Amino acid sequence: MQASASSHPAGERTTLEGLPPRVALVLAAMGLGGLAVGFGLGLAQGDALRSFFRSYLANYCYFLSISLGALFFVTLGHATRAGWSVTTRRLAELVAANVPCLAILFLPILVTVLSGSGSLYSWNGSSAGSEDLLRHKTAYYLNPGFFAVRAVFYFAVWGWMARFFLLRSTEQDASADPALTQRMERFSPAALVLFAFTVTFASFDWLMSLEPAWFSTIFGVYYFSGATVGFLAAIILLAMLLQATGRLTSSITVEHYHDLAKLLFALVVFWGYIAFSQYMLIWYANIPEETSWYLVRQSGSWKWVSVVLLFGHLLIPFFGLLPREAKRRKAILGFWAGWLLVAHWLDLYWLVVPSLEAAGLRLGLIDAGCLVGIGGVYFAGVLWTAGTRPLVPLGDPRLEESLAFENS
Amino acid sequence: MADAPKTAAAPEGTDGQGTDRRLVAKHGRLVVAGLLAEFPSAETLKAAAARVRDEGFTRWDVHSPFPIHGIEQAMGIRPTPLPWLVLAAGIAGGVAAIAMQWWMNAVAYPLVISGKPFFSLPANIPVVFELVVLFAALAAFGGAMALSRLPQFSHFVFRASAFGRVTTDGFFISIEAADAKFDESATRELMESLGARGVEICRESTGGRHLPKALTWGLVVVGALALLPPLGIAAARHRKSEKPRLHPIQDMDFQPKYKAQAHSALFPDGRAMRPPVPGTIAVGNLNADAHYYLGYRLKQGTGDRGQGTEAKGQTEDDREYFTTFPPQVEAKMRELMDRGQGRFNIYCAPCHGLVGEGDGMTSVRALERRDPEWQVPTSLHKPAVRGQPVGRLFNTITHGLGKMPSYAAQIPVEDRWAIVLYVRALERSQNAGSEDVPEDIRPQLR
Repeated sequence: MQASASSHPAGERTTLEGLPPRVALVLAAMGLGGLAVGFGLGLAQGDALRSFFRSYLANYCYFLSISLGALFFVTLGHATRAGWSVTTRRLAELVAANVPCLAILFLPILVTVLSGSGSLYSWNGSSAGSEDLLRHKTAYYLNPGFFAVRAVFYFAVWGWMARFFLLRSTEQDASADPALTQRMERFSPAALVLFAFTVTFASFDWLMSLEPAWFSTIFGVYYFSGATVGFLAAIILLAMLLQATGRLTSSITVEHYHDLAKLLFALVVFWGYIAFSQYMLIWYANIPEETSWYLVRQSGSWKWVSVVLLFGHLLIPFFGLLPREAKRRKAILGFWAGWLLVAHWLDLYWLVVPSLEAAGLRLGLIDAGCLVGIGGVYFAGVLWTAGTRPLVPLGDPRLEESLAFENS
Repeated sequence: MADAPKTAAAPEGTDGQGTDRRLVAKHGRLVVAGLLAEFPSAETLKAAAARVRDEGFTRWDVHSPFPIHGIEQAMGIRPTPLPWLVLAAGIAGGVAAIAMQWWMNAVAYPLVISGKPFFSLPANIPVVFELVVLFAALAAFGGAMALSRLPQFSHFVFRASAFGRVTTDGFFISIEAADAKFDESATRELMESLGARGVEICRESTGGRHLPKALTWGLVVVGALALLPPLGIAAARHRKSEKPRLHPIQDMDFQPKYKAQAHSALFPDGRAMRPPVPGTIAVGNLNADAHYYLGYRLKQGTGDRGQGTEAKGQTEDDREYFTTFPPQVEAKMRELMDRGQGRFNIYCAPCHGLVGEGDGMTSVRALERRDPEWQVPTSLHKPAVRGQPVGRLFNTITHGLGKMPSYAAQIPVEDRWAIVLYVRALERSQNAGSEDVPEDIRPQLR
């Protein structure tokens, strides 16, 4: 695997080798157990699995967003011919290449839609008012068959893109052939366009259609901005975790953390910008069809979730990540990355659940089961994808530049 | 910039005698402004910079073709206060934006916009965002300039011949003569001991630091002239004038033609606009069918001024309203009924209400606001209205009544009849008796 002309410093572990195989097994077992608990409790609720599925969807979209953010990070790095990010790119490639696992995790949602149960999407199933004019006019798009076709298309595109980047990059580990980098760079602009369209429509399909009468054209960008925040927070923690186990100790330096944190800070602001753009237009126009979505989220206990989101996802981390030292000290940065991962989870929960449960926030064991369940399966999938692959693109022509990278 | 020259040297090209006194008075004397030492590499430069720092020099700088990592520590440069300046300016911008909008929207000029509060944060955020960015950007730019003591129009290093290589392969340390530690020979020896490839003493004239006289005067004149327009404006603001304002750009504003309602000496009546000959009817506007176009005809003996035309001087008593629909309307009742419902809901319902009881949204809102001017619209189900002939209803839509304006401009003739038809249907629906219910359903009524 080691490239002959590699500039990589010797004396650090660059693969997951040495990790006990039971880690992945424990994660997978936790995942399946969590899902079983969530599903069982959901069945016991006797509400046609409604509370199970809404929690499942929120948690599913949460972990999906981390892989989508990773895919964006990889593609963006190639499109801009970034040098600094090379040492962290393989981690993103591995996280992004977890799409097959995500596709399998999507099956329960697909099955419930195809069976026409309507326990997740009100446009689906017999309970949907067929006399509703809007429902009638959107039926060509929101129907189980087309929904499934689109989902297959999204996963095909993401899986193909992620696999393309991962395989080219690992091929380069051995050959150190710069032509592979050029191939990826040529493909990346088109990949970004494909990524934008698929993520936008996937968020329309899976999240926005929870309220089929409500439209927001910026919704896809909103999901994307949160996804990138989630991914950057995740990769910072992932790198710290790997370094704690003695891996990548010299490949990823404080300078890389600093730049990842700068990007994270920028995306936190971008998320706030997009969230407010969506809110202000609806607030200003004050049209009942549009305000209903926010009205639910401003009533009862959802109001407090919204306030927590405003402070926890924007204002507090803004000032927290603002100082240079906060981005360069591992302990502080790790704290904010963990904070934002939690805030991002709350963001997705807030996107999904109020649409289906207007009464208010009621976190329970079902949510915990779905979080642990999907998370366990997801990370087992990431470990499985990583296998014995190097965690740094050893053959990348910009590796030396990245290793020597300094903020000044 | 050497403020206190340490060593004076004779001006070049003179031998220190005779005429040079005048030259010195004019051009100043050449004095040592500083020293420029060239080093062979970035590493030696960094090491030398660390020594210069430890020697306690304060007025000195390092020049290199590219940024050298760690040079700040080697030079002993403290972290810049610029980020704090930018943060403070950003917060000031945010506070200023909030205060400005609060004062404008809630104090100075409160304006109700679709029922929103005068002062509400969501509407203010975009301006807050812009001002935060603007203030922060200006502070970053101005602060960086000021902290770097820019703009600086000359520097002694540019007098050194070797300095031209600073953008390609030259690594330099410059030390100002104004530094308290500076000593021409001792500092030169220090530099050489640190591995300097060459040391150059730079001299600068004490004269020639002022702008040329012509330029100074030019600036004074331009500055004085620039003050004239604002002075003129300030003066004009405190004076009254009878003269029309200046009109420098004509834009065809004055044309040799008569405008509407203008006076003309050419005609006996003094009007520039010529009224049409009495009895003139525009093409396609004969409208001779009084039943269809007017809804009434003049009673016998009130003067025959053409059936279809509206004549002046009539009173209600002169009119005889038609009680039946014109044949054009009779021919397509079914179709016009639907049309009438649509037109009624668009034009009439806002005041008269969807059912015609005089409780439209406009009226409800006006009553909520206790508008003293408001007249509640008539209920179409009052006996007085129900008893009116259809022609009279048509005439009311055409010309308005009381506070109700004319709708002739908005609603074409056929649509007006369609509305009348629908109003009749409405009236019947609200005043129906058991005989209006179909025979077969009637037994279900109780």
